Amino acid sequence: MTNMMSYGLEIGQMLLALALAPGLVGLVRWLKARLQNRLGAPPWQPYLELRKWLAKDVVMSTNASWIFQATPYIVFGSTVTVTLLVPLIATPIAFDAVGDLLVVVYLLLLGTFFLALAGLDAGTAFGGMGASREMTIAAIAEPTIALSISGLAIGSGSTNLGQILTTTLTDPAAAISPSHFLAFAALFIVVLAETGRLPIDNPATHLELTMIHEAMILEYSGRYLALIEWASWTKFLLFLSLLANLFVPWGMATLVTLPTLALATAAWIGKLILLASAIALLETRVAKLRLFRVPELLSLSFVLALLAVTSSLVLK
Amino acid sequence: MNDLLFSQLSTLVAASVLLFGILLVWRRSLLAYIKVFQWQSTMLTILFAIVAYFGNDPKLYWIGVLLFFLKVIFIPRLLQRFLVQIDVEREVAPYINTATSLVLTGVMVLLAQAMTNPLIRLITLPTRNGLPFAVALIFIGLFVIITRKKAFTQVLGFLVMENGIAMLAVLGTFGIPLIVELGVFLDLLMGFLVMQVFVYQIQGTFESIDVSKLNQLRY
Repeated sequence: MTNMMSYGLEIGQMLLALALAPGLVGLVRWLKARLQNRLGAPPWQPYLELRKWLAKDVVMSTNASWIFQATPYIVFGSTVTVTLLVPLIATPIAFDAVGDLLVVVYLLLLGTFFLALAGLDAGTAFGGMGASREMTIAAIAEPTIALSISGLAIGSGSTNLGQILTTTLTDPAAAISPSHFLAFAALFIVVLAETGRLPIDNPATHLELTMIHEAMILEYSGRYLALIEWASWTKFLLFLSLLANLFVPWGMATLVTLPTLALATAAWIGKLILLASAIALLETRVAKLRLFRVPELLSLSFVLALLAVTSSLVLK
Repeated sequence: MNDLLFSQLSTLVAASVLLFGILLVWRRSLLAYIKVFQWQSTMLTILFAIVAYFGNDPKLYWIGVLLFFLKVIFIPRLLQRFLVQIDVEREVAPYINTATSLVLTGVMVLLAQAMTNPLIRLITLPTRNGLPFAVALIFIGLFVIITRKKAFTQVLGFLVMENGIAMLAVLGTFGIPLIVELGVFLDLLMGFLVMQVFVYQIQGTFESIDVSKLNQLRY
């Protein structure tokens, strides 16, 4: 019975994440538009985009190989798997035993890797440019994510995400330790880089000189584009949930009953909305960095993550 | 419980003071340097208030207020006026590039942690965990002074180093006597004003505040 419940919870949180991801991105876009005195598309616009793409035909280059066709499914599949591994609303989840934070980080990297391959595959100038830029960023961003979460893992003595959350829940004083603070700063910068947000990549343009994510997926259309965009929105939601739950786990359900789960879902959505507003505010305040400044920003976050790890070791 | 909270809060704020020190290494525009310094000094003031509250030392509030007026309001305002007059906006080419500087900053913090580790094990002050951050901040200030070419940035490095020393004092000894603190502030202000005059002179002679130009004096 409990087994059934916990698997139900897993499926539930996966569906919830997939369903809410477009809305979250739409919310950020809408908030940004309002902050810039524009009317903006309504927050549910991404759902309409998804429906439009799913209804359209796929146009493919004759030079494209099987990689181009397989990539959308790999990207989407790996992201969906991660939604099962990250605790979103309740903390000890059934698949905690299946994958820890390293699995989460490298499953997400798998998607990025195939996306870069697909960008190169069609042989257009933009795809190659986007792929090379994405790899430059991913090469510094991925170890930083692993390192900053390791800073927390050392504190709790486990790389298991559920275990880290439970430790913070039982020992609230740990949440204001310097290693938490530094790891949060590091992870926040990396999340902006990984999800293609503003100081690193501009999600709102197709301007050829600045785009990274958009350049890689320029060749995609129809349902392939729908899958890739949906996956990248879900990735955005997952990263925000990681930020929210790892550092402020309060409000998460520790028991699987209907009222606690409903409360936890509300708390989770509340935290996501707060983070999304923070990002919208940030994006209206800062300008995009020059591409050559991006590795510098990422090395800043790498140093912060490193310090998070060492201070959790030294100050233990 | 109170001691634990004191320890956690003071270490957290000390870490945020250090964070602004690292940001100073990352930023390039001189205006941003002033902003970073202002925020760092604000965090330092908060640290003084925390130590004053939990350490039951009312005179630290006064030092905090003084620090706030001097470092958050007065010096940044002077710096801003200064910036308008010298008409330079960016630190263009430091001796060590930004990415390497950042990595070296990380190494310096590690060094500070290794250095203060024996001390932390020895003493029982609740604020002891913040000590490595204070020492690291002194290193970072020194590093900025050594590796940046613009005299303006070097002045900022000096100010950040001074913040590090103030933080070390407040964390290590819960503040030094008021009269000494006043002396330090006066010293800082005089040092800052003298440096400002120097920078004006460099600017007047070379039409630039790039100190590497001082090498021309040899010929």
